[in-house]
Amino acid sequence: MIGVVVLVHSVLAFRFFQLQVLDFDIYNQRAESNRIRAMSIPAPRGLILDRHGEIIVDNYPTYILYGIGAEIINKKHNYNVISQSTGIDTTVLKKNYQNYYRNRFVPTRLAKDLTINQLSRLEEEKNELSGIIYKQFPERIYNQKIHASHVLGYLKEIDRQSIEKLGEDNQYEYGDLIGWSGIEKNYESSLRGKKGVTYYQVDAFGREAGKIFGQESILPYPGKNTTTTLDVSLQQLLETELRGRRGVGIVSRPETGGILAYVSAPNYNPDLFTGLISNSDWQSVIADTNRPLLDRVANGLYPPGSIFKMVVAIALLEKKIINPQDEIFCAGSYDFYDRSFGCWKPNGHGNTNLEQAIVQSCDVYFYQVIQKIKLDELAEAANQFGFGLETYIDLPSEMKGIMPTQEFMNRLYGRWGWSQGALLNMAIGQGEILVTPLQMARYINMLATKGKTRTLHIVQNKNHNIPEPNISNRSWNLIQKYMSKVVTAPQGTGRRSNPKIPGLKIWGKTGTAENPHGEPHAWYIAYGEKDGEMISVVILLENGGHGGEVATPLARNVFKHYFNSNRTKLAKN
Amino acid sequence: MLRDFRKKILKSPISVLLPVSGLIILGLSTLFSITATQGQTPPNALSKQIIFMIPALILMSIILLTPRRIIHKYIYLIYGCILIAVTLPFFGEKIAGTYRWINFGLPFGLQPSEIAKWVIVIALARYLSDHNLKIKNIDAIVVPFLIVLFPTMIVLNQPDLGTAFVMIIPVFTMLFWAGSRPIHLFLIIAPFLSVFTAFDILVFSIWAAIMAVVIFLSRLKLWHALGLYFSNIFLGLIFPLMWGSLRSYQQNRLLSLFNPELDPLGVGYQIIQSKIALGSGGFMGKGWGQGTQTHLKFLPVQESDFIVSVIGEELGFLTLLIMLVLFSWLIIKIIRLALDTTDRFSSLVLVGISTIFLTHVFVNCAMTVGMIPVKGLPLPFISYGGSFLLSCFMMVGFVLNFGREKLD
Repeated sequence: MIGVVVLVHSVLAFRFFQLQVLDFDIYNQRAESNRIRAMSIPAPRGLILDRHGEIIVDNYPTYILYGIGAEIINKKHNYNVISQSTGIDTTVLKKNYQNYYRNRFVPTRLAKDLTINQLSRLEEEKNELSGIIYKQFPERIYNQKIHASHVLGYLKEIDRQSIEKLGEDNQYEYGDLIGWSGIEKNYESSLRGKKGVTYYQVDAFGREAGKIFGQESILPYPGKNTTTTLDVSLQQLLETELRGRRGVGIVSRPETGGILAYVSAPNYNPDLFTGLISNSDWQSVIADTNRPLLDRVANGLYPPGSIFKMVVAIALLEKKIINPQDEIFCAGSYDFYDRSFGCWKPNGHGNTNLEQAIVQSCDVYFYQVIQKIKLDELAEAANQFGFGLETYIDLPSEMKGIMPTQEFMNRLYGRWGWSQGALLNMAIGQGEILVTPLQMARYINMLATKGKTRTLHIVQNKNHNIPEPNISNRSWNLIQKYMSKVVTAPQGTGRRSNPKIPGLKIWGKTGTAENPHGEPHAWYIAYGEKDGEMISVVILLENGGHGGEVATPLARNVFKHYFNSNRTKLAKN
Repeated sequence: MLRDFRKKILKSPISVLLPVSGLIILGLSTLFSITATQGQTPPNALSKQIIFMIPALILMSIILLTPRRIIHKYIYLIYGCILIAVTLPFFGEKIAGTYRWINFGLPFGLQPSEIAKWVIVIALARYLSDHNLKIKNIDAIVVPFLIVLFPTMIVLNQPDLGTAFVMIIPVFTMLFWAGSRPIHLFLIIAPFLSVFTAFDILVFSIWAAIMAVVIFLSRLKLWHALGLYFSNIFLGLIFPLMWGSLRSYQQNRLLSLFNPELDPLGVGYQIIQSKIALGSGGFMGKGWGQGTQTHLKFLPVQESDFIVSVIGEELGFLTLLIMLVLFSWLIIKIIRLALDTTDRFSSLVLVGISTIFLTHVFVNCAMTVGMIPVKGLPLPFISYGGSFLLSCFMMVGFVLNFGREKLD
């Protein structure tokens, strides 16, 4: 047993001897100059481009300043030197140091977004500093012509909880930027690239002293550039048109589902999230009662108003319940038991057939015909057009809206709490029906392609197809004919949307959605075609008034811009 | 009565205190270097360690003077109490991710598992000396193992792998001392070796061959031999499946042993920095208070687990050699006392305590030089740590008491 004790101690003594005497030179050298430090090299994020290759989101180099707790000799002095040469307040430095501090050996961020000028002035004072290092960081910079804030999304510094939620195999460190909304979030995995690592040997004062033997640094792998379907000039036009208003503008291609312009107004400057903008600007965005951060395109819910009438018409035509030629008399209002339902035109439209009912948007016609079908039959027709369902656009969040069914109404009001009167409201797109503008874009695209449209997308359509509705060609043709009349007929509500370009044909439908927040919302959806080139437009102005008066001119400008611009011809060639 | 005490003290093997004092002085001067050079103001590791010396010495004296038969009489009761005590931390707060400390509202917590180390040894000594066991039979090994396994399993769940390891090792030396057949102890250790060698097919094959030879030479009955052999092989084969159920920090520690460079900023970082500290110390060291690895804080947990690296960096190989001589002097002295004692109980206690010291020294030093995984075991008398210091001095008290010629 004593032998075992002697053996154990001899083994240990030999190992100490080996390390301390035989390998002394190696370890002594390492201790002298070797302070292992791994520093990650950020990968530049992929650029975001428009359909013509114009850059929407770019990177530009900034510098981040770090302090290493164990190596800063006099914090106050260091802060003063930094403050004098860069102009950053010492209280900011102090606050950042406290916020980002993890331990004495890990570099702690003191300031970011330093320009090369600030940095070179700091470099002159290098001898005054200890434990202060910097590294280059590519920051996002945006195309100045447009905001496109809601569709691009923004980056945010990842917090500890989010890193934990991502599981063990993620490459994020606390303080890294991660796509937090929009395209930046949805395409995070391809945009972000792969970080590199370098290993430094640093002396006691934090100055680099060469690379570690055998530890090659790994270079970062830049993120993939992402080409979107957006068109910067159209986006710019619609953003200008909607400036100062609350509303939505969407332009897309019905055949492909690609979105050319995606505007939710009011919007915000995407620079807001890059740290270039002061805290007070940020507060003003947060506090704005018009809610600029809300993406009205995908997350705004509105009653569709008269635009919904095509759904009703198709449901009735498909069930052969109405004959398009049959006329109904509109006296300006309609009495249903003890309730009176008004038409938007108090004087009435007189004798009205289906065509006139759509072209002039007569409500009384629809009050009468809707009574011939059940709510669930109507809901089924609406579902075929995607109401109450996601659009599966490649963005991280969207609302489904509401398309009521019998069961829904029973749940909401009780079995006897609602009556056929509710159906009359739904016939004109009022009542419980709520839609997102994005659903409207899909709807108009289906009408334009007779149901053969593709899923809406900004970058690419991923594994989703819109099921083709089971609707006869006759119904499609009739509805398209009526929608054409909406624009061309002298009393057509959409006549103001026609830019009158030779060869350009336009189909449309206006809507004026009553709502509890004041003036009605103005809707206009339309599509135009010239020489086989087709685009669709959705316009919504919150509390804007009559769709035919306020929303249609915006669509006209879009058509005019698109079909007149040289760009279209260039793109076609 | 006082004369009686004087006689007791004079008859004790007081020379044991010589290596202990040497080690204590080395430990305190190292803690002094760490706290003074880094400008840590009291209460710091040094001042706390000095303050803990007072109850440690008092407890040592009390134990030295307590009649052996009292210890023999009450040890099962103490064993019961310590079982409860190691369970108590689970009802308190988690400290550093583990349930090791009991908080009495004092500025420091107490770690009952440190005390449990010697309680188990003495309880085991009583069991083995009380029962006129047919120790040559394998079933006589079962109860001693149960005595050890209860507290060990609790401590393992705290989780504290290092302490659990220290608790289980004495049972082997004590059984061997009491006269168990080495083949039985081999059979108990065999499953663990089967598991550890399962990492590598070549190592496992060598182990399987060694096992076959040992079992063949031990002339067991054919069916017993075959059963034992194949159940071990089976264990080694299913172990890779059980590996997944280990806590990830334990997996990391084991893995970083084989390749510390794998993860220079994680677990491997500690071993790399420890080796640099030791190696750069050289034969004579950099000088007291001059260790750059230590004082720029590249060296982790330098007051306790990695204190050897501090000594090695500042005072060099020569001092480490002296330290090892002091340890082997202490441990060999205890074993000598065990050999000289005629009383079976005392002898077993001494063997158990020497095993505890030896395990601590080996695991701690082997860890700092990268021979075994980072286990988090302190070095007796040198590392900073209140409960551990108390426990060590109590064990010295037992050595002084049980190593004495029979007086009571």
